[in-house]
Amino acid sequence: MPPAIETVDLVKEYGDLRALQELSLTVEEGEFFGLLGPNGAGKTTFINTLVGLVRKTGGEARVFGQDVEDDYRQARDAIGLAPQEFNVDRFFPIKEVLIHKAGYHGIPKDEAADRADEVLKRVGIYDKRDERFDWLSGGMKRRLLLARALVTDPDLLILDEPTAGVDVQLRHDLWELVTELNEEGTTILLTTHYIEEAERLCDRVAIMNEGRKVTVATPDELKQRGTDTISVRLESPSVATRTVENEVGVYAHDVSTTAAGDRSEVQVRVDDGGSTAPKLLHDLEEAGYEIADLEISRTSLEEIFVDLTRSEDRTVTRSSAASADDDGSGDEQEREQEGVA
Amino acid sequence: MLMLSVGFRALFRREVLRFIRRPKNTFMPPAITNVLYFAVFGLILGGRIDQIAGFDYILFIVPGLVVLGAISNAFENASFSIFHGRWNEYIHETLTSPLSYAEMVVAYVGASAVRGLIVGVIIAIVGRLFVPISIEHGLFLVVTMVVITALFAGFGIIGGLVARDFDDLTVMNQFILRPLVFFGAVFYSLETLEQAWQVQVSLLNPMVYMVDSVRYGLLGYSDMTSVAPAAYAEYAPYASLTVLTVLTVVVIALDVYLFKIGYGLTD
Repeated sequence: MPPAIETVDLVKEYGDLRALQELSLTVEEGEFFGLLGPNGAGKTTFINTLVGLVRKTGGEARVFGQDVEDDYRQARDAIGLAPQEFNVDRFFPIKEVLIHKAGYHGIPKDEAADRADEVLKRVGIYDKRDERFDWLSGGMKRRLLLARALVTDPDLLILDEPTAGVDVQLRHDLWELVTELNEEGTTILLTTHYIEEAERLCDRVAIMNEGRKVTVATPDELKQRGTDTISVRLESPSVATRTVENEVGVYAHDVSTTAAGDRSEVQVRVDDGGSTAPKLLHDLEEAGYEIADLEISRTSLEEIFVDLTRSEDRTVTRSSAASADDDGSGDEQEREQEGVA
Repeated sequence: MLMLSVGFRALFRREVLRFIRRPKNTFMPPAITNVLYFAVFGLILGGRIDQIAGFDYILFIVPGLVVLGAISNAFENASFSIFHGRWNEYIHETLTSPLSYAEMVVAYVGASAVRGLIVGVIIAIVGRLFVPISIEHGLFLVVTMVVITALFAGFGIIGGLVARDFDDLTVMNQFILRPLVFFGAVFYSLETLEQAWQVQVSLLNPMVYMVDSVRYGLLGYSDMTSVAPAAYAEYAPYASLTVLTVLTVVVIALDVYLFKIGYGLTD
């Protein structure tokens, strides 16, 4: 089977601005795939390229092997999209909106009506079926977007920040629902700002920044890329950092010390806190220190995300600064990039 | 058949329901406006005007008013539907569906043409309240009405795609469409124009051919038979209809092309 999504060197340019930069990404069928990135990273541009709302400038994009432009009808038929924006037909009650959407996908009217009832029940707004979109609360609107994406029974469900601005209860309801859908075989592409969401739901995540793919990995793999911090309190009034640096092994990336009354604290940054802590304790005891207690703080996915995108930002800032030196337009380019997604 | 696919029918139905369910916005205004036209131009002023081409003035203006209402509504429906969908982005529901671009365009054009035809019938009924009307060339009239409402629905699609705000739609309707119709021999016959250049300029206005074709279908009278060379006079209305049909096909093909390249629709 072809991948659910496959892009090769995908490029989208808006004049001088490159919203997607040679983006190559593969999402396997049945996967729960997360797309993470700061505002302006190109996540929505990427999604809109798949569904036909953005025309790519270059590269290739396929959905279940169907080119999104040459075979656009087959590609679009496979996708259910719940976008960020509330782009719903205001003229009709929501059940009719769903019937129309199903109809556009070739589902006969009677069957479309049954499906509309079914998905409205599934997302919990069946009793609002005769209301118009504008009369729904914010949370119900979000549920409707999901219902509209589901009414065509898509093989690929794309959720563009589905839990942005929703309350905790709804967020958990949505998580439960999309997890069920994924277990039933639907491939899911989720963009989100909430790292916890990606960590909890996704098989793999791609981190994007400035239209580029920074990395693709499982949440666990990503976390392993981070460093842990071991804090050791010593029964000694003060300890010199340089002395401790010489006494511990090469596993320590960074050492710092602070005095706290008649004790002191040593903080050591290491790759894997769990396996390194015994070595560190051994080295400190060997050096004659008396250990009071120890604490290991693990790097969160959020910290890794910030670290990865910040290092990308540094690169961009440097190139932007160079550009600004040339023509003074660097700041403007960065501001424009913010508006793309 | 491709054009009668479930998807096409769903979009066509949605488009028709949108205006059918709002008669106060879609059918009442042209009905009331035309009661005023017939009362003022037909009864009050028309009583002081001699017959034109052998018809009472109030009867002579019926075809023009039918055309004016039908094409204005076809244009307005298509342009509003596209632009409002763009403005609120719910046209994405259509654009992200597996409908072909031709199916999308024909559904929008077809529904808008239906609205134009319904308005045309309403105006004819209003006119019938003021003056007896008999249809001289029924089939010709129906074909002409279908063609010209489809043509202006097609123009409406373009208008909806190029508009940047709602004011642009008003400008198109009030400052382009309406003057062309009023100088399109709705309220006068080309025979009444005294200067030859006035006739020549009028013949550059496509509305003249539409009004004339509908007048031929409804009243059996065509200005074109007196303008065309004598040998071809009897074919003149059919020539007009043929040109209008070709123009309609061209405009709809342009609509499909604009949808295909995503003009005004995609980034």
